Amino acid sequence: MSVELKKPTLKDFKGDTPTWCPGCGHFSVMAGLQRALVNLGIQPHEVITVSGIGCSSKLPEYSRTYGFHTIHGRALPVAQGAKMAAPEMHVIVTGGDGDGYGIGAGHFVHAVRRNMDITYLVMDNSIYGLTKGQTSPTSPHDFVTKTTVKGNKEYPMDALSIALANGATFVAQAFSGDVKRMTEIIEAAIRHKGFSLVNVLSPCVTYNKVNTYDYYRESLVAIDEPLPTREEAIRVVKAHNRNVHGILYVEERDDFQTQLGIDWKIRDIREGEMDEALIREIEKEFK
Amino acid sequence: METITALEWKVGGQQGEGIDSTGEIFTRTLFRYGYYVTTYKQFMSRIKGGHTNYKLRATPYRTQHAGDFVDILLALDEETIAVNKHELRPGAIVIQEGKEERIREEDGYLLAVFPLKAIATELGNPLAKNMIALGMSGALISLPVEEFYAFIEQQFAKKGEAVIASNKAAVDKGYAIVEQHLAAYVKRLKPLPRSEDRLYISGNEATAFGSFMAGCRFLSAYPITPASEIMEWMAAHLPAVGGTIMQVEDEIAGITFAVGASYAGARAMTSTSGPGMSLKTEALGMAAMSETPIVIVDSQRAGPSTGLPTKHEQSDLNHMLFATHGEIPRIVVYPSSIEDAFYVAAEAFNLAETYQCPVIIALDLALSMNRTTIPPIDAKRVKIERGKIVTPEEAKKYGEFVFKRYRFTEDGISPRAIPGNPYGVHTASSNEHGENGYITEDPVIRTQIMQKRMGKIRTARLRNPFYVQNGDADVLLVGVGSVRGVIEEVVRRLQDEDGVRVGGLFIQQLHPLPVEELKPFIDGKRMIVSVENNYSGQLLNWLRQHFPIHDRSTAITQYDGNPFRVTRVYEEVKEVLRRVGRTQETHA
Repeated sequence: MSVELKKPTLKDFKGDTPTWCPGCGHFSVMAGLQRALVNLGIQPHEVITVSGIGCSSKLPEYSRTYGFHTIHGRALPVAQGAKMAAPEMHVIVTGGDGDGYGIGAGHFVHAVRRNMDITYLVMDNSIYGLTKGQTSPTSPHDFVTKTTVKGNKEYPMDALSIALANGATFVAQAFSGDVKRMTEIIEAAIRHKGFSLVNVLSPCVTYNKVNTYDYYRESLVAIDEPLPTREEAIRVVKAHNRNVHGILYVEERDDFQTQLGIDWKIRDIREGEMDEALIREIEKEFK
Repeated sequence: METITALEWKVGGQQGEGIDSTGEIFTRTLFRYGYYVTTYKQFMSRIKGGHTNYKLRATPYRTQHAGDFVDILLALDEETIAVNKHELRPGAIVIQEGKEERIREEDGYLLAVFPLKAIATELGNPLAKNMIALGMSGALISLPVEEFYAFIEQQFAKKGEAVIASNKAAVDKGYAIVEQHLAAYVKRLKPLPRSEDRLYISGNEATAFGSFMAGCRFLSAYPITPASEIMEWMAAHLPAVGGTIMQVEDEIAGITFAVGASYAGARAMTSTSGPGMSLKTEALGMAAMSETPIVIVDSQRAGPSTGLPTKHEQSDLNHMLFATHGEIPRIVVYPSSIEDAFYVAAEAFNLAETYQCPVIIALDLALSMNRTTIPPIDAKRVKIERGKIVTPEEAKKYGEFVFKRYRFTEDGISPRAIPGNPYGVHTASSNEHGENGYITEDPVIRTQIMQKRMGKIRTARLRNPFYVQNGDADVLLVGVGSVRGVIEEVVRRLQDEDGVRVGGLFIQQLHPLPVEELKPFIDGKRMIVSVENNYSGQLLNWLRQHFPIHDRSTAITQYDGNPFRVTRVYEEVKEVLRRVGRTQETHA
């Protein structure tokens, strides 16, 4: 479908009106994503944005690209299926910490080790916002919510280290309070050929009074250059108790579909009669 | 010497002893000899050890049932006779592996014990004991030994002359043993005209083959018995045509990968069995809600929960018809034969894309794993139809910034833009949405779009939504899937042995049930008898929801993990006929 279109602008990416709370970190994440796409000269029809369920998973409606607002925790497999069928499309997955690290955690680890060429933006606010304030997989220890009345006795999940330990080829953390740096990181993630994880610390102004903009401004340590090894990246993440932002680690490795070395024709489907010659050929194995 | 035109044969032994391949060699040999062959494998959910057996029925006519009886039984372990004794036909021959040579008449059968392993060892190849037993089987029906040679030469071509020679020697030995010890029992299986075009194929293979020919180039699934063969067949064939399977991390990924691929424009499928089907139910709803085509195969096994993982059942009907929260459009089809599995699978993709909804293909373990003889595929019978997909030019005409993916139309089916189309940009959604895909909670739109979604599948039809046998008879046996093979035999037997004419109805489209088309075959019948492998009569209950037959219907059920034996159903149907007869007399 080669159609001559003019260069994309931010206006081309404007979708439905967001219903996020004023001050929500997700506004900045969406703006950063749209800016990154414009900077890269990618058209809305060349992108599939896939999300699960949660506040952040509403992004595909608010940002005009091809999109699929799926079910809770299943954005990654839907997105990978779409990428398998349409390798020429840019596939971007958006969602929250509950969606990706709670109900969808099983898919997360496998998406990491599969290394398909997609970008995963997790808007991590350490709280379940859409269900109005329950504890999440990244909530701090002793965090008090309606469902952890004596404080959260679990310890927060370290998604960055999980990704690093399982062979992720692009791991970054960004902060929605630093839009410029975040946009650079998202742009690099989209450019990366392989699975790229950007965990965006994106404060919930309504339900999380601990992981606030101020908290992150005070505690985040900038990582200016990717670290040389996975081990070093994990060490740095641990040393700063995950309070880092920047691109932590990058590795050039053939993505899943390239490694398979198949001449992809998944979407080439001819209407009309079935291929009789092929039928006769295959029938031989049943004789 | 007695000439026979049909044979029922079984080999039993411990899993891991090559029981399957022994059965396959004999089956393929008779297949090439001109016979219609149908097979059934019994196995346990473990790799080695435990009794397993392989049943073969060779007939001069087409059938879909592997038969109730055994004429020749190869017992390669102790258990074989105990487990299968009740199937022995009077006069059957049992060849048993044992320490000492011994031939004697047992209760109704001839027991011939030979130290097959020792004999094979003497020949220099202990592994060839199964080939000796095969040679004995061939000799007992006067099969020319060259039939085995031809197969051996082809099968072991890559392994070299020595292996070929040693297998031929083992087969020869089998013939020699029969000549020496069992000459009085030898019969002659009549040679039949050979066919070059018939296929010997399983239901899983036919399903995969049909999907492949319909343009399915992506299958994502998780290994599960008895569906894994579908994934394995596709894995072997897809890369050459630019596609692939993906064995993914779990059952949920199995369906959601496929939904994603389908959204992006592929013909995509997933294959599973009951436990996987349970896990997929939320995503089934997503496919329906987002109006994404998808084909899901549920090869049923005995449930619930883990159940009997390697045993047969038809107990997921309710699940396939009703699964997922809320209400969704769905199409449920159930091929009634291995041959139909090819065409139904191919049509399933047309239905999924035309009606933009999930299509569930029901199979059952017997239908999936049995092999039978079918005519060559009719390439003209199914044409690939993709439904309302818009080209960039067509999409551009709407002039919309956000393409109305869920546009209201007369038939409820909306034009669909495939990602990449510059004028079709839209978001598909599992949330309730308006025409443009954006979330809405507006009660008016909600009502309208529910009506559109639910109503659009009304006209969906398989080419053969059902088959009828003796449609005019006033007692009708109804079945789905592999049970068709049983009912056909029962109908034939009642006709031949009792001169009684009953009918058969084999429903291939369960949802939407083609009520109007079925009516003429159900209205006015004296008795509707469903024959089904589940406890509660799920098929009958489904029919009762659509037809006023509560006072003139009953179910014959079996849920012990095994397919029906024809004999059992035959007896039960006769009992039903007696009851119906008595009722009539009372009323008269």
